[in-house]
Amino acid sequence: MGLLYTCLKYLVVSLWSIFVIAPFLWAISTSFKDFQSVTNGATYIPWVDFEPTLEGWRALWKSPAKGGVDIVEPFFNSIFVTCAGSLISILLGTLAAYALSRFTFKAGFIRNSDITFFFISQRIMPPVVLAIPFFIMLGKFALLDTLLGLIVVYIVLLMPIAVWIMVDFFNKVPREIDETALIDGCNPYQAFYKVVLPNSIPGIIVAGMFCLIFGWTDFFFSFILTFTEVQLLPVAIVALNSSITPWWSLSAAALVSVAPLIAVAFVVERYLSKGNLSGALK
Amino acid sequence: MAKIELQNIAHSYNPQAADKAYALNPFNMTWVDGGRYAILGPSGCGKTTMLNIMSGIVQPSEGKLLFNDVDVTKLSTSERNIAQVFQFPVIYGTMSVEQNLAFPLVCRNFEKAVIVAKVQEVAGALSLEGLLKKSASKLTADQKQLISLGRGLVRDDVAAVLMDEPLTVIDPDLKFRLRRQLKEINQKYRSTLIYVTHDQNEAMTFAENIIVMDAGSIVQVGSPSELFERPKTTFVGYFIGAPAMNFFECKLEGSHNVSFGGASIITETDLSKTGEATLKLGIRSEYIRIVETAGINTIKAQVQRVEDLGTHKLVSAIFDNQNVKIKVKRDQEVPLDSVSLEFPARHCCVYEKEQLI
Ligand SMILES: Nc1ncnc2c1ncn2[C@@H]1O[C@H](COP(=O)(O)OP(=O)(O)O)[C@@H](O)[C@H]1O
Ligand SMILES: [Mg+2]
Repeated sequence: MGLLYTCLKYLVVSLWSIFVIAPFLWAISTSFKDFQSVTNGATYIPWVDFEPTLEGWRALWKSPAKGGVDIVEPFFNSIFVTCAGSLISILLGTLAAYALSRFTFKAGFIRNSDITFFFISQRIMPPVVLAIPFFIMLGKFALLDTLLGLIVVYIVLLMPIAVWIMVDFFNKVPREIDETALIDGCNPYQAFYKVVLPNSIPGIIVAGMFCLIFGWTDFFFSFILTFTEVQLLPVAIVALNSSITPWWSLSAAALVSVAPLIAVAFVVERYLSKGNLSGALK
Repeated sequence: MAKIELQNIAHSYNPQAADKAYALNPFNMTWVDGGRYAILGPSGCGKTTMLNIMSGIVQPSEGKLLFNDVDVTKLSTSERNIAQVFQFPVIYGTMSVEQNLAFPLVCRNFEKAVIVAKVQEVAGALSLEGLLKKSASKLTADQKQLISLGRGLVRDDVAAVLMDEPLTVIDPDLKFRLRRQLKEINQKYRSTLIYVTHDQNEAMTFAENIIVMDAGSIVQVGSPSELFERPKTTFVGYFIGAPAMNFFECKLEGSHNVSFGGASIITETDLSKTGEATLKLGIRSEYIRIVETAGINTIKAQVQRVEDLGTHKLVSAIFDNQNVKIKVKRDQEVPLDSVSLEFPARHCCVYEKEQLI
């Protein structure tokens, strides 16, 4: 019985691992192939099945004029827009969440929970609904096809996530912490940044991780709101899928685009598994 | 250090509601500078609310708060310079024990040398010296509460130190020592100490004056012996003392007499102005005496049970369908039979509508 259970468990886990890892292996192996190895039937193992080459990777920073695909600029654009959007969202979102958690707002029938819901409701609508209004508004402010325009849109998309996570987090931070800080001689702002904020770093890290993931993986808005001047990585990668698809460069670019997320997940996982998230207070 | 006056203070957490239920009914109270007070009352009677009003965490819906005759009702918590310790440990988890203790001084820009000396002193008083460099989040619950206490005691210029059931999470052994230590600290610095508790023993042994509260009102303010000898209401009689005071439904009989179950009891209370026919007679179980022969102020009660409580015996008897509890010395033999109980006149309290006459 115990043995059967163990076997079954490992079987399920193994199948799941294959399911998750296989696309990566496929992309890694393809990225080292050339035109010949891709088109002449399925091959799997380098040096045995096909002769590996670094051409697919080199093409990533060669200009199209020299036969490359050049995703260096879109890569850094993406990093810049995602980080800036996430940073501002976390900053504003944390402040908003603290206010929503600690102070009581009343405007007619509107209460704190309604305001929190308003933030989250921004993410309930299908993105398509927002695309046209965003397009028109950015057009009015001449922000279409600019990094700044994308950052503004990303803040709108990411801040609800930050507010949502942080309201929940602050609600779990006992009010007595703030009150004690006030008694110990802080004014309300000092109480926030000297006492509450340092205790909230785990929450901020989680919120930041979600912002980075959602920002980084967005394709839809960067596709709609940019044309020629500015290009983000997801759009640049999809653009590679032209009439003669360079599968090797496409695979390499895809791997490059997941790499930062894997790095983030790795760092955060390390941090969370040290038990830093729970037991920060009390 | 200050005299603290609460003038017509009242508080409702929901003042807009149609029937604004007061968490604290309007009241006046003066805390003498340097006094050592205990606030005693059942859970939910408004003790925490009263402390929070004094420290400024809660703005009272009505009334004024004066420190040394200066109106501070509108001042912020930090401007009031008050120390408060909560029921459950509050520590700054990202700081070390030392930084936790120093925080109230650092926030108020004390000189470095003063801070170091005060932190050492408080750490010494609370036996925290060995932990100073440790991260505060890594401590046990009672160590954390010691830090909360330490932060409350580290400034000796405060208007008052407010403590809200601070020893709840601390085990009895340490509790006893800490209570003594708090008493000594109060005597040394003569800072006003207000200590909330629902444990009457704690209140009785610790405080010079006890404030008994019930359902949002102060019922009685007095020294431990006043509360014991002459409870102002039957609630105080029930609440203070173990066992609770004995109360008997009785009838008015003369200018100093009441009767119940056929027995007439003479008291020292002047009852001539009393209009009410039914009263309550209260007497502490410590003052009822078991006597050989029936005489003046005696009743003949049937003993139900005798419990040996180590330091004394607790006798439960019944008379006129009402229970009587009597505390007697351990070595006294009590028959499980009918006995004569004497009610000494000077220990009899008479209550009209639950209020002492
Ligand atoms: N923040 C609050 N909001 C609404 N009602 C409260 C709040 N805090 C306390 N109360 C109510 O006020 C009354 C007094 O509470 P509290 O002062 O905490 O009592 P105690 O400390 O004596 O147990 C209780 O009935 C409680 O339910
Ligand atoms: Mg309380």
